[in-house]
Amino acid sequence: MRAMGAFAAILRKDLRLELRSGQSTVALFALSLLILVVLVFTLSPDPANRAEASAGALWVAMVFAGMLGATRALLAENENGCMRALATSPIDPAMLYAAKLAAAFIFMTVAEGAAVILVVLFFNLEFGPELLRLAPPVVLGTLGFSALATLLAAISGRTRAGDLLLPLLAVPMFVPALIAGVKASAAALSGAELSAMTRWLGVLVAFDVLFVTLGGLLFEHVIGED
Amino acid sequence: MAASSSRGSAVNPSGAKKARGVPALAPWLGVATLALMVASLFMVFEYVPTEAEQGIVQRIFYFHVPCAWVAFAAFGLVAISGAFYLWLGDQIWDDLGYASAEIGMVFCTLVLITGSLWAKPIWGAWWTWDSRLTTTFILWLLYGGYLMLRAMADDTPEVARFGAVVGIVAALDVPVIIVSVRLWRTIHPAVLVTRQGGHGLEDPRMVATLLVATVAFTVMFAWLLMLRFAQLRLRTRMKELRRQLALAEASAGDL
Repeated sequence: MRAMGAFAAILRKDLRLELRSGQSTVALFALSLLILVVLVFTLSPDPANRAEASAGALWVAMVFAGMLGATRALLAENENGCMRALATSPIDPAMLYAAKLAAAFIFMTVAEGAAVILVVLFFNLEFGPELLRLAPPVVLGTLGFSALATLLAAISGRTRAGDLLLPLLAVPMFVPALIAGVKASAAALSGAELSAMTRWLGVLVAFDVLFVTLGGLLFEHVIGED
Repeated sequence: MAASSSRGSAVNPSGAKKARGVPALAPWLGVATLALMVASLFMVFEYVPTEAEQGIVQRIFYFHVPCAWVAFAAFGLVAISGAFYLWLGDQIWDDLGYASAEIGMVFCTLVLITGSLWAKPIWGAWWTWDSRLTTTFILWLLYGGYLMLRAMADDTPEVARFGAVVGIVAALDVPVIIVSVRLWRTIHPAVLVTRQGGHGLEDPRMVATLLVATVAFTVMFAWLLMLRFAQLRLRTRMKELRRQLALAEASAGDL
């Protein structure tokens, strides 16, 4: 009960900060927009494989915007020694991890909703029910990415390399979810059967379970001090 | 005598006292590596028959596969020693994991290079996104990230714990990578038959050569690991002594 209270308190604080400053969501959205613009110029969308190109663009935007913007709520705690205070407080580190993961997940999901609209506009897709079928892969992928990035940003944020180190660690680890997510999204956009998506969704679920569990178990070792 | 030994243990707390330089076994492992390497080179170039379909280039197989085996074993050792480090907190496990990751990276690079040299004449391309190649390449990137972390965070006191966490997470990620990459390739049209598909090792001499080469590379791995591990142990001990010296100087300054 107290554990849930700590989780709710930390998440509420991060959400309130976000509502007042809008930092993470605006940063995520702005980065997604710029990445999509770059991709439109470099990919020159071809009507034949529009579904695949737009699914790929969406995931590139998600990964690279997320790398810079998703973990702001966590990194903010490094200022003024807040992280040290949280680590020494009687809060279960797994709950702290869950709260930071939830914050990153919420900010990314909001920004991605906007990014999906941009992808539809930029790649000349239709606003239709197939966009709803994009939700399962995108939500599952975002959850996995938030879990991974929250754990690894706690590491990279405490080294002098900082932001540079996070992509070096996170991108190779995210490869399975990236493959599955792009494939499932492309299937969703091209209007393929739902069965074409299920095995990719299975990979995404396995990835999410693995990284949420690992993050919860290992977070205490990452925030503690020697 | 008793007084000096008790003072000695006070100056060398846990972890630091075990560092004793290169073990006596190391030169013998070096000699064994040399002998086994010469033997496997002889077998690869003189003893083993040329594979019928692929011709002479297939002989790279006898170095390629042992390199892959050593790379996978080394990366497994990184994860295991990471888990032991987080469990027991003894620096010895971190030194072992770090040494293993560095050597694993060398052999993983060799796997990619020998594979590429082999692929060009057989498949007509230096690189294809075949599932096995892709998985090995992602593994290489994962442990490249691990080593970048070690290099960039070297002066952070928590670097050992960070390394342990990344090593464990990377190793547990590997099964998911293998599954996803395999699914990814089977959906695409199979441009090339994987090298395991066509031929087994028909000739017993091929099996013998592969076995000797595998033993040679394994002994070489053990030898390199021992040298690097001993060096890291000394580094740990030096850090500890330096820390104690600084403490002693600080307390002397207080007086």
